[in-house]
Amino acid sequence: MRPNIVWPLAVVLTKSQLRGRQRSKRLAKLFGNPRIIFIADILILGILGTVGYYVTSNFPHDFMTAAGRVVLEALIGIPTITTFMIILFGILSELSQPIQSTSADLVNWLPIAPSDYVLGSTLSLSYTYSFLLAFFLGLTLGPAIFLGYGPVLVASALMGVLSLFVGSSVVELIRSVTNRISSSFYRKSGRSGIFARLALTIIVLVIFQLIFSGRVIASVLGRLTQTVAEVWYVPVMWPSLTVESLNAPTTFTPVGYGILSLGFMLIIFGLAVGMRKAYWVPVPVAIKLSAQPYHASIGMLRIPGANVAESAIIQKDLRSLTRRREMARFLAIPFVLAVSLWVSLYPYGSSSQGFGLNDIIPLYLIPIAIFCEVLSMTSIGQEGSAIWNLYIAPLNASNVVNAKMYLTNILGSIFTCGLLLAISLLSKRGAGEILSLLLMGLLVVIEESALGVYVAGRFPDFRETVRSRYVSLSGSLLGPLLALVVATVTAAPILFSDYVPAILPPVLFEILIGILLFVLLWKLAIRQVAHLLTEIQV
Amino acid sequence: MQGGEVLGLLGPNGSGKSTLMKTIVGIIKPDTGNIRVLGTDVATDPTTIKRMIGYVPESPRLYEFLSGVEYLDFVADIHGLPKGERQERIVEFLRALDLEGRENELIHGYSQGMKQKLAIIAALLHHPRVLILDEPLNALDPRSARIVKDLLHKFRDNGIPTVFSTHVLEIADAMCDRIIIMDGGHIIAEGTTQELRKKAGTAGSTLEEIFLKLTGTSDTKDLVEALGR
Repeated sequence: MRPNIVWPLAVVLTKSQLRGRQRSKRLAKLFGNPRIIFIADILILGILGTVGYYVTSNFPHDFMTAAGRVVLEALIGIPTITTFMIILFGILSELSQPIQSTSADLVNWLPIAPSDYVLGSTLSLSYTYSFLLAFFLGLTLGPAIFLGYGPVLVASALMGVLSLFVGSSVVELIRSVTNRISSSFYRKSGRSGIFARLALTIIVLVIFQLIFSGRVIASVLGRLTQTVAEVWYVPVMWPSLTVESLNAPTTFTPVGYGILSLGFMLIIFGLAVGMRKAYWVPVPVAIKLSAQPYHASIGMLRIPGANVAESAIIQKDLRSLTRRREMARFLAIPFVLAVSLWVSLYPYGSSSQGFGLNDIIPLYLIPIAIFCEVLSMTSIGQEGSAIWNLYIAPLNASNVVNAKMYLTNILGSIFTCGLLLAISLLSKRGAGEILSLLLMGLLVVIEESALGVYVAGRFPDFRETVRSRYVSLSGSLLGPLLALVVATVTAAPILFSDYVPAILPPVLFEILIGILLFVLLWKLAIRQVAHLLTEIQV
Repeated sequence: MQGGEVLGLLGPNGSGKSTLMKTIVGIIKPDTGNIRVLGTDVATDPTTIKRMIGYVPESPRLYEFLSGVEYLDFVADIHGLPKGERQERIVEFLRALDLEGRENELIHGYSQGMKQKLAIIAALLHHPRVLILDEPLNALDPRSARIVKDLLHKFRDNGIPTVFSTHVLEIADAMCDRIIIMDGGHIIAEGTTQELRKKAGTAGSTLEEIFLKLTGTSDTKDLVEALGR
């Protein structure tokens, strides 16, 4: 490993990561300089530390004695949590990159050894995500200084840096594997491999996002620090055990655990280098979907309710959706949202008896509305620079709008039925209520699909970058907000039926509102897309 | 343009050739003026124009996650090409441009030349009545380039007008009935090679010499000297 190669490479990779995330030129200029991370780290540490010290020093003495244990546990937990967090951020970032951007391919034609690249990339990742460590240390800095835990704080910071490097090495390992092994796998397994990858990606995203939700982290942190010594055989815990053994008599001394931690870090780094070496030379990605010669099959392509041109767009979108790994995060949204909402808000056990229809409606409609809105409002931007294919095709605006809505309607309806099935099993609602919820859900699906296409046409973002949003910042903020408004208006006749004198039965009133809203949004979407199609954006 | 005429657009990078072509296709609005293709105004009826035009952009971006035939099926569906005709044309084009056997692979794994071939097939699949080709021979192997050039001759014989841009001046010289030289968004010269020679005042010169003279980039000797040191 040559420092004169590693250092410039780390700087370039850091700049690429920072600038790849910025959508506006002004932000790219501001956040494109790696020094900004160092400044941010210092600010986070300084502000959180100062506030923490001030707050702690004003607490009653008795309270602080009890809180001392919590602060100590937090300091012990910092290295482990840091490792997990950087792996989570790394996985999310990797999954959301377009498959075309395999960073090592950009430099492996230069005289750079795989080990140089891995070290450069690991340093870059560690530095980019150092704000995580700064945040955790900042939270504990004030109380730790006030309570006289200086040596533990220093040990926690040192082990935190080491853990940052371990996490980055793991991410680098994942990068090598996903960039190269996966392509070999798909070449062999074709369509089934593509679906398996999509399903696995969604499962990983859902699990990781649930695991790292605030509530779960809090409980893990508490349990982790109570049982940390019992898991001495788990290498990722060694940095935390190094910090803990400063104060507690354990089998190993802090030096022993420190050496083990360093050894673990070197092993993970060595594995990452080995994997990168194995896949350093690009394998041409040629995924063959079928061995059969071409046979035109126009009859099979016709989708009910859509003409041939619309069917073609729907088929194309469906294929892209299942074959692009960066789309997995959008498909994971409803599952994460539904599970998070139900875990957080649904009262389990005997208290669920008093949980009425009006309590269920928000938990049911929010995931549906957000899912359909997100799917639909990203449907135009995700065409990327290939959007010219639609611009030059003899299509009118309603063809594009109908096709884009169709896929959201299908996926949204499937999700609605699945969610309803889960609700009926979980809360044992009557058939009437289930039917009412089904109707409400389907109305929201079609409304949101039309609203989404309007937002997609009004605020498209065709740039293919890391974590592409496919819709501008304004659109991504406005879209979900409008989606919630539309869902609320649709559900209003049922939600407020007890308070407002009904001219019509609530269900009929709801259908009327739903259809009116849909027609209005559909017409708006057509007008917007017609405008979009007259001026190419890429 | 006359039926069967091949019009070449030449000009330095950034001179406005691609923008002009996009404007003709109807995907960029002209600042002023109107464009009529086969008697139809591009601004008032772009869908009809797009049905009649075959367009290859400068750097075609295709749907990387479709296979070659899935993409061609998509284009054929959009143009409403019947099943029998689609089968025949797609198979013939794939064979002619050496894509047979690779048609079921994802476009993502295609080389630049293969993508270019696919874009050319997509532009020609629906029997276009006008061709707008922005550097169509880019990245093509000699055999495929020859086939595309022969095809363009065939289209000319069939009375299909073609606008195409290229930086290979020999190709423009050999293929175009009329040449337009653009610079800075303006037409600076127009005519047959003979007429351009007269305008440049360079009798007996090659098209390259005429081009360099008219675009004011002929004085390159000193630069080359300096760079070659």
